Amino acid sequence: MNQAAKAEILTTDGIPLKVSLRRAERINKFRAFALVLPLTLFIIITFVIPIIAMLTRSVDDKQINTVFPKTFELYKQWDRKELPTEEMYATMFGEIVNADKRAIGKASTRMNYSKSGWKSLIKKSKRKFKKIKEGPYKEQMIAVDKRWGEIGFWKALGEMADPITFGYFLNAVDLKYDSNKEIIRQPENRRIYNYTWYKTVKISVLVTLFCLILGYPIAYLLATLPLKYSNLLMIFVLLPFWTSLLVRTVSWIIILMKKGVFNSILVWAGIIADENRMQLIYNETGTLIAMTQILLPFMVLPLYAVMKTISPTYMRAALNLGAHPMHAFYRIYMPQTVPGISAGGLLVFVLAIGYFITPELVGGADGQLIGHWIAYHLKSTLNWGLCAALGTILLVVMLALYWVYNKVVGIENIKLG
Amino acid sequence: MFKLIKIAFLGAIGMVFAATAYADFTFVSWGGAYTMSQQKGYIDTWGPVKDGSTKVSVENYNGGLGEVKAQVESGNVTWDVVDILPVDAINGCDEGLLEELDFSSWEKAPNGDSFLDSIPENGTGVSGTISPCAAPQIWWTYVVIFDPKAFPGKKPKRMKDFFDVEKFPGKRGVHTWPQAILEMALVADGVKPNKVNKILQSTGGTDRAFAKLEELKGHVVHWSAGAQPLELVSSGEVVMSIVYNGRAGAAILSEGASFDYIWEGQVLDGDWVAIPKGSKNKAEAIEFLKHATTCASQAEQAKYITYGPMRSCGNDIIKKNEPWFHNGIAVLPHMPTTKKRMKKSVVTDPVWWADHNAELKEQWAAWMAGNK
Amino acid sequence: MSKTDSFVKFEKVDKSYDGEVLVVKDLNLDVAQGEFLTLLGPSGSGKTTTLMMLAGFEAPTNGEIYLDGDPISSIPPYKRGIGMVFQNYALFPHMTVNENLSFPLEVRKLNKSDIKDKIEKALSMVELEEFGNRMPLQLSGGQQQRVALARALVFEPRLILMDEPLGALDKKLREQMQYEIKHIHERIGITVVYVTHDQSEALTMSNRIAVFDDGVIQQISTPDILYEKPENAFVAQFIGENNQIKGKVQSINGNNCVVKTEAGEEIKALKVNINSVGDKTIISLRPERVEINPTNSNFENIFQAKIKELIYLGDHIRTRVEVCGDDQFVVKVPNTYKGAEFKEGVTVKLAWKATDSRALNSR
Repeated sequence: MNQAAKAEILTTDGIPLKVSLRRAERINKFRAFALVLPLTLFIIITFVIPIIAMLTRSVDDKQINTVFPKTFELYKQWDRKELPTEEMYATMFGEIVNADKRAIGKASTRMNYSKSGWKSLIKKSKRKFKKIKEGPYKEQMIAVDKRWGEIGFWKALGEMADPITFGYFLNAVDLKYDSNKEIIRQPENRRIYNYTWYKTVKISVLVTLFCLILGYPIAYLLATLPLKYSNLLMIFVLLPFWTSLLVRTVSWIIILMKKGVFNSILVWAGIIADENRMQLIYNETGTLIAMTQILLPFMVLPLYAVMKTISPTYMRAALNLGAHPMHAFYRIYMPQTVPGISAGGLLVFVLAIGYFITPELVGGADGQLIGHWIAYHLKSTLNWGLCAALGTILLVVMLALYWVYNKVVGIENIKLG
Repeated sequence: MFKLIKIAFLGAIGMVFAATAYADFTFVSWGGAYTMSQQKGYIDTWGPVKDGSTKVSVENYNGGLGEVKAQVESGNVTWDVVDILPVDAINGCDEGLLEELDFSSWEKAPNGDSFLDSIPENGTGVSGTISPCAAPQIWWTYVVIFDPKAFPGKKPKRMKDFFDVEKFPGKRGVHTWPQAILEMALVADGVKPNKVNKILQSTGGTDRAFAKLEELKGHVVHWSAGAQPLELVSSGEVVMSIVYNGRAGAAILSEGASFDYIWEGQVLDGDWVAIPKGSKNKAEAIEFLKHATTCASQAEQAKYITYGPMRSCGNDIIKKNEPWFHNGIAVLPHMPTTKKRMKKSVVTDPVWWADHNAELKEQWAAWMAGNK
Repeated sequence: MSKTDSFVKFEKVDKSYDGEVLVVKDLNLDVAQGEFLTLLGPSGSGKTTTLMMLAGFEAPTNGEIYLDGDPISSIPPYKRGIGMVFQNYALFPHMTVNENLSFPLEVRKLNKSDIKDKIEKALSMVELEEFGNRMPLQLSGGQQQRVALARALVFEPRLILMDEPLGALDKKLREQMQYEIKHIHERIGITVVYVTHDQSEALTMSNRIAVFDDGVIQQISTPDILYEKPENAFVAQFIGENNQIKGKVQSINGNNCVVKTEAGEEIKALKVNINSVGDKTIISLRPERVEINPTNSNFENIFQAKIKELIYLGDHIRTRVEVCGDDQFVVKVPNTYKGAEFKEGVTVKLAWKATDSRALNSR
């Protein structure tokens, strides 16, 4: 017997202990796996796959390359200074005429993102090219639509030359490719995404902050009041949950508009003059007020859950040790609520950054946050690539936030109660 | 007790299955008074509905092709008929998201015109259908209304008054997307309504519209839902607003509101009905659309909403039978499609908008960001 | 009373939370400097309320509390300079042991080197020098208890309050901590007011014990006197094990009396707090003072008893008998007992002295 065999411990039945243990654990592992399997499948189907699909879509640019493969081959040799050669025109002509109608429809939608007009140009050409029987094609194509003679349209194809593109991500931050695939800024009158990102993050941060400022004392009261009062207060906190989002939003409009309840009370009380009624809605103020109210419960509930677990003895102990109540609150109570603050803060921020219905209704010109643009491209322009890019950036911002949070506070410090 | 719960539970499941089996036809529209007009105008009067062989379940959506695209791409099409905007009808047809229709056997007009010919061109070059996938529904418009009490003296009459904040001081309500407002800006800038599309689509056309819009900067309250502009005007938040004319008509005809219209420069846009590609009830859906687009159905719908029938035969029935509105009030004063009003109107060019939607939406958003 | 006699003084203190029930009634209590006083009683007896009033977390409804001769009712808790050990220690969970200990010193604005010295001293006192950088939750219950003690002592308060500090520990650790606290008290001579409901803990540690019931101090005395000479039935029953026989006073003779039980036996007893013949009374008798089948005749009371139940408890056998009409009467028989036949159902003789059976008031 060698050394290793000597060290091996056997069970009563003579099977090596490690083998036996592994076998016993395998059954447990299998059972645990079977228990989580339905949820795992559910998450994979409803969450992981869509996210992967989204990430894929944000860089996928195949839909055009599969329709115009030969044209793009020639495109790579083109000098991009003068109109393309007859050969390139002819190739383009052939590919339009022979393309599957549905595929070319999709391709034209994609081409239209890089230059407005492609969509109708392709559609019109597909219809009218049937009449052209033989070459040379260049002149005849320009005769069908003079846009074929504009170098700008040809140049715009450049950014679509590769099946993988970062163009959507560039668009999402007001940049784009030029015809040489150099990154340039969007024309000034189309720069809207950076401003929207800034506005979205700013509003989300402010709403989170306001929710914290308003929610902290409420949660504290809830956690410390006797049950019969705290129950009543809890109902007030939860009340917004039980009202439809639109009803709440419309209520805010009625309260905050110029001839609304709030302004009228101020005028009646003589605080402001009738002609100086404040603009509280259809601007950023309105967005902040309405979103804060709607998201407040998401701050209060985690805070309350955490505060409920903090024994009042800690404050007593701090007082007993000689700390002024303010100091004791700051040094002893507040740090123990950090898990609640972070849970509530993250929750509110995450919800706020994707919000779009309420801001749209009460925000007026300021009401179009990033969620609005995602919904718009999803439904109206069908530019799902840009949607995916915007969504991916949003996801990355969240993950970055999560990472920073984990570094600073520690993720184990997040607590919902 | 448990037995009772069990029976109730199984019963409930059974009913859900029965309901899904029964609601075999899905019609999707925008909701509210508009859907109600469709319900009363042609859903309830459809043969298979009347004899109980088909139950049409009506769903609401917020427009756009998002849902249709998702359904078609996933191969699980649950919608049979959807009411859509021209832009989406064109895009959807191009991308193969909608079924193409063969109109040759559809109802002819009483004067013998074919189905497509009975959709007049409205003086813009757009006649018949805009897309082989779209059957005609109604014309609706972006029109300016105001509260006459806000202007005790001279009242605004023309589109240029909407843009004149010196002569008619006060805020204006404008929607948060670029459609119609650009056309209106050109009308206000002196372009004849029937030339607006040509100018807008020419080089520098949009720049000219945006330049005119500069005059409104700082005087605009933006709205995003159709009910908002009426509230804005009646509460005095704004003195004039662009609205959907059907909303204004309903407020005046049914609720007795006192709004006046500025018809000049109204921007007509259509609503079309289409069948998502791969609908499980395609044949039935075609029959349904044939019924929905008869002259009688077109006119019947106008009893419940002040949107103009696309087929002129529908308009003829209304004219002969005034007062036509369901509560006994004349409806033509609120219809955007009378001959006189059509002359002063712009019809949006859906093809051009399909090309330039994204670009102009971004420009408009940038404009709004500067409107403070 | 001069300052030195009475370091802490409660004077006619009443406390009510709801205006209807008094949880503390007319409390008068003096604690001498350096004394270890325990407030002992069942839950709801007012002992914790008394402690909280002293700490400043509750205000007396009536009366005044003096600390070192000064009235303190209007002084907020954080200015009283009283140390306290809480029931569940109340160590700040987000701070290390060192930070917990430095907290009271920082708020007193001591300089850093002083703070360091004092923390070291306090930790060495509780033998936890190595644990300064641990978080409270990384410590065992006993270690947390010692940190709490060190924190209460580190700022050198005039007075230490302890609110059932050992309640969460297991029995063995609890006993060990009792000695440790007692020794620390003896070493530094600080005044301690200690609250517990565990009578053996109170007997082990205290200089004096105040027995609370129903908001009133029933008896306040040293442990031995409380045990040997309870002044009323509650104290007798609450402290130590105790047989109680009900009866009526038949005659009184100086310090002695005769009590007739309901079953008709006459018991000779010590007159403690009964007033006149005919009063109802309860005779209190410690189990260990009863002899089985006595070999000598030094006992005034001898009765026949029937053994009902025997429970073997190692060092002694707990024997339940029926005597004088009471079938819950308990006798502790040493397991060295080698008397006549001793099993259930057998009749034996029980004997005890008149001075050990105390005739107390009956409530």
